[in-house]
Amino acid sequence: MLFIAPCILMLLVFVYVPLVQNFVFSFESFSAFSQERAFIGLQNYKTLFGDKVVGTAIRNNIYYAVISVIFQVFGGLILASALEDNAFRRISPLFRTTFFLPVLVSMTVICLLFSFIYHPQIGLLNNFLEHIGLEALTRQWLGSSKTAIFAVIAMSQWQSIGYIMMLFIVAIQKIPEDLYEAADIDGANKIQRFLNITFPQVQEMFFVTMIVTVIGAFTVFNEPYILAKGGGPGTSSMTLAVHMYQSAFVRDRMGYASTVAVLIFLITAALSVIQTVAFGGDNTESKKDKKRKGAANRG
Amino acid sequence: MTKFRKFGALLLAAALLTGTAACSGGSGSSSAPAADNNNTAATTPDAGTPAPDAAAPAASGDKKVVTFFHRWPNEPKNPIFTAYVNDFMAANSDIEIQMDCVLNDSYKEKVRVLVSGNSVPDVFSSWSGSFAENLVSSGNVLALDDMLAADTAFKDSFIESQVGPFTFDGKVYGLPMSMDGKAFFYNKDIFSANNLSVPKTLDELYAAMDTLKAAGFETPLIEGLADAWAVSHYEGTIISRLLDPAVMAKDTNKSTGEFTDPAYIEALNIFKKLTEYMGDAASGLDHETARNMFVAGEVPLIYCQLAEIRIINGETSLDTGASLGFEYDFFNFPSIAGGKGDQTGLTGAPEGFMLSNKAQNPDEAQKFFKYILSVESGERMTKEAGEISAIKGAVNENSASPEINRAVDMILSATSSVPWYDNAVEASIGDAFMRGGQSLAIGDMTAEEVMADVQNVAAEVRAANPQ
Repeated sequence: MLFIAPCILMLLVFVYVPLVQNFVFSFESFSAFSQERAFIGLQNYKTLFGDKVVGTAIRNNIYYAVISVIFQVFGGLILASALEDNAFRRISPLFRTTFFLPVLVSMTVICLLFSFIYHPQIGLLNNFLEHIGLEALTRQWLGSSKTAIFAVIAMSQWQSIGYIMMLFIVAIQKIPEDLYEAADIDGANKIQRFLNITFPQVQEMFFVTMIVTVIGAFTVFNEPYILAKGGGPGTSSMTLAVHMYQSAFVRDRMGYASTVAVLIFLITAALSVIQTVAFGGDNTESKKDKKRKGAANRG
Repeated sequence: MTKFRKFGALLLAAALLTGTAACSGGSGSSSAPAADNNNTAATTPDAGTPAPDAAAPAASGDKKVVTFFHRWPNEPKNPIFTAYVNDFMAANSDIEIQMDCVLNDSYKEKVRVLVSGNSVPDVFSSWSGSFAENLVSSGNVLALDDMLAADTAFKDSFIESQVGPFTFDGKVYGLPMSMDGKAFFYNKDIFSANNLSVPKTLDELYAAMDTLKAAGFETPLIEGLADAWAVSHYEGTIISRLLDPAVMAKDTNKSTGEFTDPAYIEALNIFKKLTEYMGDAASGLDHETARNMFVAGEVPLIYCQLAEIRIINGETSLDTGASLGFEYDFFNFPSIAGGKGDQTGLTGAPEGFMLSNKAQNPDEAQKFFKYILSVESGERMTKEAGEISAIKGAVNENSASPEINRAVDMILSATSSVPWYDNAVEASIGDAFMRGGQSLAIGDMTAEEVMADVQNVAAEVRAANPQ
């Protein structure tokens, strides 16, 4: 008991107390400039449900989650199994490093980099499209409300896919070689091997990455904040976290920002409960551990 | 295998190079009206770390400590402040100045927290207008009236019009270091090649831009609309031209602002029309890119801050190496027919310093405060950093370029000083105007929808600030 006391204390101070405090704040109205706080009951929640920006933000977060699951989780798995395939053995270390490299780069730097790629005049993307004769596809990627959020999401996929891929590579490397040997003897082709051996064997990792990706998508802040200059143009690429930040530090409505934070908490908590329940069929010990890890990520 | 290693190393090197290029190229900080908002990328300040060569932490034994907090950890101003501190400590061996600085946006957040808490820095920098008013509302900022009454020479050393934005409820809470204004900068060569004169009215401006368009300038005017504050500068100026000053006073007051005057919709429609001259790309550009397009001679007209003169002249560390291939001049936003506001007011607000009323050594803090706001210090700031000093006589032919001297004349001759709009109105209303303006420019919202949104926000603000 004594040994875990420091841990419990830290958790209390940095996780549970702020969490409870945030719930309390969400019923109040106050400014960062003064110490006074006024209790206003459910007013903030009323505002929340009438707030058009919240709708935009949730929609954008859902786009983020769906696209991230498709590209990062499925794409990462395919990349990982391709790189672990014997055909690519010789070059896979190079590709592994190449795909993983963006994960190591600071998000701020990546956003700067992509602001050049998406630049309406000197941007690489538009220039590239022009050069291959697809002028019709050139856009104001970050300057239009229709494409801004997708431009941001695309950058995220590029950045994060390497991380998920690495997790899958680790999982694939743990698959016993004899399973593949047996499949080879049975005459299974690569796709069959992937569907019948690789995929079931990395299922645990699959759930973990799902949770990490989906929770990440609902709490995403840096990318839209930096690349789309705070969710612009207008409010078109706002996410819940950006909206919370803007409410708190631009609009100086700390109470309302707490309310948005409560909404984010409820959504992520609900999602991880759903995922844990939905994928929690198997009771093996290791699976439980993984799930706990996934749940810890949301803290 | 070695072949691949080499290739890998090459790839890595290429990636790193691209990374560095990106870092050095993209410098714009998006923080609003700050004078040198384009001069910020070079250094990333470590929040909360005292500048290394200012004040060594020890040795404060019998020295009187004054804490000094400002927002310029970067070139060119940080070395000047460091020199101020060192010179001041050399002249006053019994005083120790502990200087600390963080960059724009972090400064905004940090100074709010410090001033509203109990660890107020003794001397600190502040923007004017609502930002200053918020700091003052903490009750921790010293009213300077007694000090100014005791030292009238000091009081008279400031350009009067620049003290107003630091005055709240009849008391002066801060003094200006620098001043600014927003004006249309135009390419004189292009204007004269097309026989254009300086537009006096908005219609003349439209006509001039139509002429330029016909002459082959696809975008006669440019702005980086991705920077929300750039949108608010346009909106604020147009609103100040159109709106009855009485309505303006009512609407900028948190407890009475309704924003129902039809002039707002007219103002937004004028803004919308101006953005149509900027082309599609404007919504994805930042202000720095837009300014570079002006400097490159691609676009003949841009609405810029006078504080940007030195950047346009290539007098800063951000100098691209290319010298300006044309002559330029600037003019105030033209008058708008039928507008009820001041048609010759100039948008722009000063920035300056404040004192804490909790200082441990108030006399020493005042002494340092007066030192950094002296004519000599102002002259130095103008000469070395291109600052448009708000101290009388600090900007002169010796200390500043002809353009900056003209800018001072322009600020002094303005019939009124219009605050930056995002500072004039409550922050959330300003945000609604800025984001609404962006949506308006790209056609996502109409002026009526933007104003409906602003009115909703204003209703919440009124509810939160009862009279």
